Formats: sequence, C-alpha cells, structure tokens
Amino acid sequence: MYLNPIVKKDIKVQSRSMKICWGVFAYELILALVFFLAMSVIQSSSRYSASNIYSAIVWLYPTLAVTQLIILGMVVPIRTASSISGEKERQTFDIMMTTSMSPFSVVMGKVMTAVVQSMFFVVASMPVMALPFIIGGMSWAYLFWFLAIALLVAFFSASIGILCSSLCRKSIGAVIMSYVFYLLFFLGTAIPPVVYGVVRENMRYNLPSVPRAYDMYGPNAFLSLLLNPAVYLTEYFVRIMADDSVVDSLAGNMTGITSGITSPRGPIVLASSGNRWMILSTILFIGVSLLFLWIASKRINPIKGRRKKR
Amino acid sequence: MLQIDHLYKSYGKFQAVSNLTLHIPPGDLFGFVGPNGAGKTTTIRMVCGLMLPDGGNIIINGMNALTQQKEIKKQIGYVPDFFGVYDNLKVREYMDFYGSMYRMNSNEIERIADDLLELVNLSDKKEAFVDTLSRGMKQRLCVARALIHNPALLILDEPNSGLDPRARVEMKELLQNLRSMGKTIVISSHILSELSEMCNSIGIMDHGNLVTAGRIEDVMEGVFGNNQLIITLEEGRDTATRIVNEHAGVRVDSVGEHEIKLSHNMTKQEIAKMIGTMIAEGVVVTGFHKQEGDLETLFMRVTEN
Repeated sequence: MYLNPIVKKDIKVQSRSMKICWGVFAYELILALVFFLAMSVIQSSSRYSASNIYSAIVWLYPTLAVTQLIILGMVVPIRTASSISGEKERQTFDIMMTTSMSPFSVVMGKVMTAVVQSMFFVVASMPVMALPFIIGGMSWAYLFWFLAIALLVAFFSASIGILCSSLCRKSIGAVIMSYVFYLLFFLGTAIPPVVYGVVRENMRYNLPSVPRAYDMYGPNAFLSLLLNPAVYLTEYFVRIMADDSVVDSLAGNMTGITSGITSPRGPIVLASSGNRWMILSTILFIGVSLLFLWIASKRINPIKGRRKKR
Repeated sequence: MLQIDHLYKSYGKFQAVSNLTLHIPPGDLFGFVGPNGAGKTTTIRMVCGLMLPDGGNIIINGMNALTQQKEIKKQIGYVPDFFGVYDNLKVREYMDFYGSMYRMNSNEIERIADDLLELVNLSDKKEAFVDTLSRGMKQRLCVARALIHNPALLILDEPNSGLDPRARVEMKELLQNLRSMGKTIVISSHILSELSEMCNSIGIMDHGNLVTAGRIEDVMEGVFGNNQLIITLEEGRDTATRIVNEHAGVRVDSVGEHEIKLSHNMTKQEIAKMIGTMIAEGVVVTGFHKQEGDLETLFMRVTEN
C-alpha cells in the first residue's frame, strides 16, 4: 500500500519529539478540567431537581465533544499553517519540489499529517468521552458520529491552514490569516441571512406588503449558513440531545415554509429539512476543503502561471 | 543531455538571464562560472523546474523541461546551495523519504541507499541522525539523496560553499567518481581552481549572458590563443632578445632577468630552430614552454567589462 511519504516522515519525526507528548498532556488536562467542571454543575443541578445524575451525565457528551472540536479547530490550522512556510524556512521545500511528488500530493501529505495527529488527540480522549456512553446510556453510534465530525473539523481546519501557508511567506502570518478565515466562515456566512431579515423587516414597515418574489427567493440567503460551522455543529448536537432541529425551526420561522404563506423557491428547497441540510453542509465543507487544497497546490507549484510573451 | 535554447528570465526590470543558449553533451562535468548575480542560480532553478522562464526552451535527455515536468523530474538530481535537514530523522530514513517520493519500493530504496551511502562514504552513519552530521557529511548525503532515483543529470549549486578543505577534496573526488560512472554533472561554483581540476567543460556567465562556453582547452585557446611562449635562460638575455626580434611574426611581450615572454605564429620546427640558434650563439637556455592560461585569469579576462 502506498502511503504518502510526507505523512510517513512527518509522523515519524514528530513522534520522536516531546512536543507531541506535551500536546496530548495539555489536551487531556483541558478535557479533565472541563469534565470536573461539568460534573460539578451536573451534581449541583441534580441536587435541586428530580432528575437523576445518571441521565444528566449524557450532557458530558456535547460538553466534551464541543471542547475537543474547539481545540482541534484552534490547533490544527497552526500545525498546517506552518507546514509549507516551515519547509521554506527550513530550506527543504525546493528539494521537495524537484522530486516526482506533485504539489497536490505535497499539500495532501501535510493535511493528512495534521488530520492523523488530531486523531491521536481524539483517540487519547476516548476514556473520558466513553463515560456518557457507559454511565449515561447513550448509543455508541454517537461516539462514531463524533469521530466522523472530528475528522471533518480536522480536515476542514487543516485545509484552511495549508491554504494560508501557501499564501503567506511567514508561518506567523499564515496562522493569523487562518483565524481570519474562521471569522469569515463563522460571521461572514451569517451576513446574507441577516441582510435578508433586515431588508424584509424594512419592507414590512415601509411597503404595503413584502413583494412576493422577495419572499420566494429571498430565503436562499440562508444557504450561506450551509458553510457556517456553528450552525452545522449546533444542528448536530441539538438533533442528538433534544431530538429537534435548528434548521427546521429556522426554516419554519424565517421563510414561512411551515406557515404556508409563501413557499420559498430556488435551491433553499433542497436544504429545507435538517437531514438534507446536514448532508449538503457536509458535502460543501468537504468540497470547500478540497478547493482550498487545490488552490494551495497551485500556489506552491514553482512553475505556475503563464510565461511572458517574448 | 542538456540543451538550453534562447532562455530568458527577468525579475521586474532586471534581466537575470538573457538569450542563454547552451548545449552540454552526456558524460560532461560542466562548470558553471560567473560573478554573483550573473544568473547561474536562476538558470539552474529554471532547469530544475523551480522557476518558469520568460522565454526559451530547456531540453533534457530529449524531453522538454517545460511541458514534460513529471518525466523531467526523474532525470534530474538537484543539490541546492543552501539546504536544510529534518530534525529527528536518521540518514537511512532520510534516503528512504526521498526514495519514496520517487515512488520507489522499500527494498529498492534500501539497496540503492546502501550503495550510495558507501559511495559518499557515509555507510557508518546510516543510523545517525541527519542533524548531527557535519556540514561536509550533510553535503555528501545531499548528493547521495539527489542520486537515489538514478538521474541522468546531476545539478549542484555551489556545493563547496562553507566546506572545510578536507570536505572539498572529498566532494571533488566524489564528483569525479560520478563522472567516471557516466553521469552528466553541472556544477556552479566560485572556486575556480577546483573547477579547472574537476571539469572538462565550462560556461562563464556575466550579467545574465553566457560569455563563453565549451571544452576548457577550447575556451582557453579562444581567449589566450595558442601562441605564447616562455623561454627561461641563465645567460645571454640580450642576444636571445635580438634573435627573437629577428624572426618575423614574433612579438616580445616581456623581458625579465631570466625569462622572455613572446607571442608568435611559428610552427614547432621554427621554434626549435630559433632555440637552436640561441644555443649556438652562446645563450644558456634552461627551458622553454607554452604559456598555459588558468581559469582564474580566463574568468577575469572575459568578465572584465
């Protein structure tokens, strides 16, 4: 089986360093702190309510999972953001580019290294993560769902990092740019629905009625939220913990789908249920990640671009 | 082996390489010489596929370097002027890493790496960590790494910079060994004396232009001419000078206490006859030889403008 040489080498090199041990230690420490904090909250709340502590323990699952996803989201871009620029700073990049490896394989190798490493951390957290399943009686399937989501978060974060690494000369610049990208995904994707809502409210007060076309096609502005990690993760955890759907509520309240006044048209129809939303959103996150990897591979290709006319 | 035709490269308004045309036949050890900023590294980077030229063509082993990049990469082994190594990686793993980048299988890599490490005299360092090697050892390891996929063309950019004298000698021997194995080698260096000992052909670049290129003897002859003679003598300097001046087509360049330098267009027989005349008239001639030009003088002369 062919294993990307960069993954093989990077994992080997990094496993020999103490950094990875300290990294896992810090990760476990944060999880332990969150665990004890959550347990104390669960214990104190169960003291004054009828619910027993065992059923309350299932809330450890979203608490620990979200903590881990936040850590991964913060740490993975740092690792990949310094990967290409790090090779350049170490002066090993040119040699790499003269080998038979394509720029895409190089980029993919760096991303896969980051994903594999993040899985070290996630696997290391399993004993703590298993508690809500053992004590709280949650379905074990959710544990595998969490692994899948963690994998997606790691891949998406790593692709942002590698893109920034290919855009910036310095590692520090690439890390900062990665967080700016996060802001774009978390806040930037929320702008179109907010604009839609504000304009609709203005129309309601200033016009005799909101134009029908606006109500039909305007809700498509919500599609930008398909790329909002906060919406994606909230939908996932709300579905598991409360058997409800944020997207369904949002669709009902904001677009009038359930009120039956105006049926929205356009692509929003495809994403108008929680299930479809999750599927589409997952596909989009993977697609955007691959797009970032492709751009990064084009950026690092030393003979990119067209030749000048002479 | 390497054919460069009308190559151009500029950085903004600065013309780094201008209309460079160069042919290097297989098996040559070609020395690329030039002052800093002459365009050597830019040319090498374009040949290695690390930079896109503005114009011109690069053909390596019959393949176009600009359109057949994937195939070309298998033909080239590149040793850059500055290179880093990975911490926590052993020599054996370093070779394995680069071998697998050429999609070679582990058995093949192991076999070739063993041979190459022996060639570069690093067999006993196989289990050592790369970052613990000396600069000279790292340089030799880098050459071994560049040869892991058995490239037809080996390109070294300033391989001797920062090396101590022993390491330089070892590097020189290594390159000569490689040449004797039939590898075509292009080496850029500032150390002209070493290049003249190692290389059989050279190219001199200045301000982005190739000033001269070819077999060292041909280039020397083209610049210095083949007609400078030095006669060393013990006695009879004036008589010798008179005899030299009597010959048509001979010009005295300088007269020292025991040495006369002259330029001529005589045949070997005419030279022998002139020396015979000097001896017959009592001049004590202790020797005579053709003046050999050296690479440093040649370099200074062709880049003086």
